[in-house]
Amino acid sequence: MLAYTIKRFFEMIIVFFLFLVISYLLFNAIPGNAFSSLLLNPLLPPEAYQKTIEAFGLDKPLLERLQLYIVNFFKGDFGYSYTYYPRTPIDLIAERLPRTLMLFSIVNIVAFYTGFLVGKILAWRRGSKSETWITIGSVFSYTVFYPWFALMMLWFFGYKLDWFPLGKFLVPEKWYDAPYSSDEIFYTLILFTTILSFMLFLVFIFTRGIESIQNRRNARLFGLVILLSISAMYWSNGEAALKRFYAADIAYHMILPTFTVTLVAFAGTALLTRTTMMEVLKDDYILTARAKGLSQKRVRDRHAARTALLPVVTSFIFTIITIIDGSVLTESIFSWPGMGQLILEAVVQEDIPLAMATFSFIGILALIAHFIADISYAFLDPRIRVKAES
Amino acid sequence: MTDYALEVKNLSMHYDTLDGNVDAVKNISFNVKSGESFGLVGESGCGKTSVAMTLLQLQPENSVISEGSIKVDGNELIGLSENELRKIRWDSISIVFQGAMNAWNPVIKVGEQIREAMREHNPESSKKENIEKINELFKMVGLDESIADRFPHELSGGMKQRAVIALALSCDPKIVIADEPTTALDVVIQDQILNEIKKVQELLGLSLIYISHDIAVIAEMTDKIAVMYAGSIVEIGPTKSVFESPKHSYTRALLDSTPSIHGEKKKLSSLDGEPPSLINVINGCSFSPRCPTPTSGCRDQTIEMGLKQVGDDHYADKCCSECV
Amino acid sequence: MENQEFENDLKAKFKKNWRLFKQSKLGMTGLAIVIFFAFLAILQPLLFLTNIWDEATYHPVVGYDAEQISRTVVQCPDEYPTEKYDTKDDCPRLDEVNIRYLKAFGIDAEVGDSYLSNVQPAPPSSRHLLGTDSLGRDIFSQLMEGSQVAFLLGLISAIIGVGISTLLGTAAAFYGGKLDTYLMRQSDLVLMLPSLPFLFIISAFAELKVWHLAVVLGTLGGLGGSVITIKSQALQVKVKPFVDSARITGGSKRRIMFSHILPNVAPLALLYMVFSVTGAIASESVLSFLGLLNIDMSWGIMIYLSQTEGFIFTGLKYWWLIIPAGLAVTLLAGGFYLVGRGLDDVFNPRLRRR
Repeated sequence: MLAYTIKRFFEMIIVFFLFLVISYLLFNAIPGNAFSSLLLNPLLPPEAYQKTIEAFGLDKPLLERLQLYIVNFFKGDFGYSYTYYPRTPIDLIAERLPRTLMLFSIVNIVAFYTGFLVGKILAWRRGSKSETWITIGSVFSYTVFYPWFALMMLWFFGYKLDWFPLGKFLVPEKWYDAPYSSDEIFYTLILFTTILSFMLFLVFIFTRGIESIQNRRNARLFGLVILLSISAMYWSNGEAALKRFYAADIAYHMILPTFTVTLVAFAGTALLTRTTMMEVLKDDYILTARAKGLSQKRVRDRHAARTALLPVVTSFIFTIITIIDGSVLTESIFSWPGMGQLILEAVVQEDIPLAMATFSFIGILALIAHFIADISYAFLDPRIRVKAES
Repeated sequence: MTDYALEVKNLSMHYDTLDGNVDAVKNISFNVKSGESFGLVGESGCGKTSVAMTLLQLQPENSVISEGSIKVDGNELIGLSENELRKIRWDSISIVFQGAMNAWNPVIKVGEQIREAMREHNPESSKKENIEKINELFKMVGLDESIADRFPHELSGGMKQRAVIALALSCDPKIVIADEPTTALDVVIQDQILNEIKKVQELLGLSLIYISHDIAVIAEMTDKIAVMYAGSIVEIGPTKSVFESPKHSYTRALLDSTPSIHGEKKKLSSLDGEPPSLINVINGCSFSPRCPTPTSGCRDQTIEMGLKQVGDDHYADKCCSECV
Repeated sequence: MENQEFENDLKAKFKKNWRLFKQSKLGMTGLAIVIFFAFLAILQPLLFLTNIWDEATYHPVVGYDAEQISRTVVQCPDEYPTEKYDTKDDCPRLDEVNIRYLKAFGIDAEVGDSYLSNVQPAPPSSRHLLGTDSLGRDIFSQLMEGSQVAFLLGLISAIIGVGISTLLGTAAAFYGGKLDTYLMRQSDLVLMLPSLPFLFIISAFAELKVWHLAVVLGTLGGLGGSVITIKSQALQVKVKPFVDSARITGGSKRRIMFSHILPNVAPLALLYMVFSVTGAIASESVLSFLGLLNIDMSWGIMIYLSQTEGFIFTGLKYWWLIIPAGLAVTLLAGGFYLVGRGLDDVFNPRLRRR
């Protein structure tokens, strides 16, 4: 296991290096540069453009720049963003990332869980009327043209019914006198949600040992109630109470995008679960489980679904890689200023340091996620565990 | 009114497939007393496993029971709702499947899978009680206690098979069906397992339905035996009687093809041909194409089928009982 | 003689698979949808060729129908709801024109006058089954053009993509070792690139026509995560006994790979191909929607136009600008997906119900 990790680690470094080089060359292949607009401005003297170019080192030959960039990168210096000068890319990423994370982690978790549930039921009820209709619904949800769908949702819930705001993540008027910046609130929200989910996860793990279904359900409900009360207490006291108003504003703006994306995202998992479950259902141990007199539900959940979990979890991990990529569309439609918008902007404006930094960020995430996927597969399937150890 | 643990009367079942109806079980009837050991013998594909599945009402979706009755302890199984069937499964009648390797869910520990069944049928028993019972059962089948904490892939074939037997006994059923429980094992283990089964049966007073294509094993394990061919029972009677005076050509062919270590070395005789495809409706005697001593009626397939008594509780197909 | 037998064998196999496919409701529905759109794609050039449709009027890109109708001039009220109108959207109606709009263009008119105006975008009528867009082009014709684009793009990129990933995945599984490591890291590299920004970059320095886009999408798709998936399938085939016996009888590695492993992975590859068509159609629509492509007309472009011209938020008033295109993308992508599901039933015997 250890030897494998080390070998993999070195491979990842090499791949990442290649990635940096390719990305840098790509960005430079786009005609023009970030400052071409300076040339068009009649009020500026022509020297302004030249000076700016020299200041940012864009007049040096490509290979020299590439070399400089890579050396600096591994020193930890990522340069300054051209368009947001003098802010650094790290600064910008730190600002935008929580916004995207907040939105999309919730979406992914809810979509994954719902999708798995629906897929489980679909596979079990194969051939029934409800199965056909729900499957068709899921297929529709999976293949629906996302921009179109998102715009329709925005129009319907935001414009027609006026239930939700039409974009952005806060109402500027409410924040004029705010003692907190939106970043702080985001951090608080993220921290809160992460800890809450973690505690929920713990509750699940601890109650796994309880044998009787009834008791287990009660224990979990009890745990949920405790967590809710703790949350309520948290938000009513101390500093959190003051932040509550602003946090609520953000949360309110999150509802429509979250709902829209979840609707589209759950279908993929549902369909994958359905297929995997259908394969598993033909296995002999399912027959044994039924012969033991277990209820349909138990056979389905405890035996079939458990094995079907493997490929679904793998796909979930791969989905995490594409969080930021997928967010580009959603963020531009809902005007949610997060990482997705940042990347698109960087690419469009040819803000090379920013673009490189964001691409690297995604790249590292992708590598790590793939690695985790490989390991978690071994963890979930004890058969593979043994092979890996031997 | 009955001391029969199991009564099967006129059971007929066919599979509804793309190519037509496959008559897997044709008019089967037999009874098993409490504590009796009953054997079902025949070639692969003769319908033995279909019968086993039907006894637990676990037949596949596309199968249709066209007629017949199955009574466990006097209670009719056919027509019961799924919920009612669930109570009976494993509690009254359980099964040791062919291929124990696949009977186990690979991601759950063995002991937990057994306790799962126990919890279903004895919800009041505590975890401790269940574990104790499992240990007892394991001792009975010759397994170490620690097996319960292992995953299925960590066990050898023989261990898995013994564990399946323990699983089948876990809810104190009255009837246990054993479908070729030793086919995939080597002879030494096979012998051990057979002895365990026999021991357990005597100890607990179970009724055992033993299904196999190995007539030698059947001879050793059973009190009563039925020979199946192409979906029907062609001969049925006390094991001793059937072995000493087999009346049906097929039974005779089966016995002749088994080598014996006693007596002279003689050339094994085997049957030519193959069992008929069950898709086409078969007129007359289904065995007649391969029968070494057919009569005119058999060859023309005009003879009327049905069991006729040929001895004390011993029945054989009409055509053969009239043959020899 | 043997070749004849082999052919008959294939025919019998095909017939059997077709029968199985027919059984799957999902698959047949999908097939019906795909055939419908294929029909649309072929219909358009036919209509032009046979002169049922006049190109000047009906061409999806350069056609123009200068229809004029007379509309009544009205004054839209400030507050709603009123007797005539429920909401702001309802005024002016399609047969009316707001006097404020005319005044803004310096046209003198009074409420109640008849005003002859261009109709674009025109609602569906007997001349234009799905109406016209703001430039007077027939929507139905555009839909058919988009169908051609979708099929072309989808099929080409899917074939390229699956061809590449099947070859690479099988090679990785079979040869293992360094080749395997290299290919896995390569697909890592491709996975790392965020697709949308990447495609944007490509479109910035290269003109992307339908063919180009198809090749790019196909290659990207083929070199990415699908290699990993196909490799794991090929691994399962590799450990089957017949492969060992092929090696023992002295087959060269390459021959074994092509004549034994590849055919067994092929059904799954076919499956993935159908699913990647879904992805390709969706990608094209998204890219067109973001204005990144250089195509004359496609479904994505239709929606892009209606968004940039501000018709999206008019709700259902200009429904023919928004709904047909979006529905078409959804349906065709879904159709291919359903066909893939149907094929799944055919090739994966464990999923069959009989």
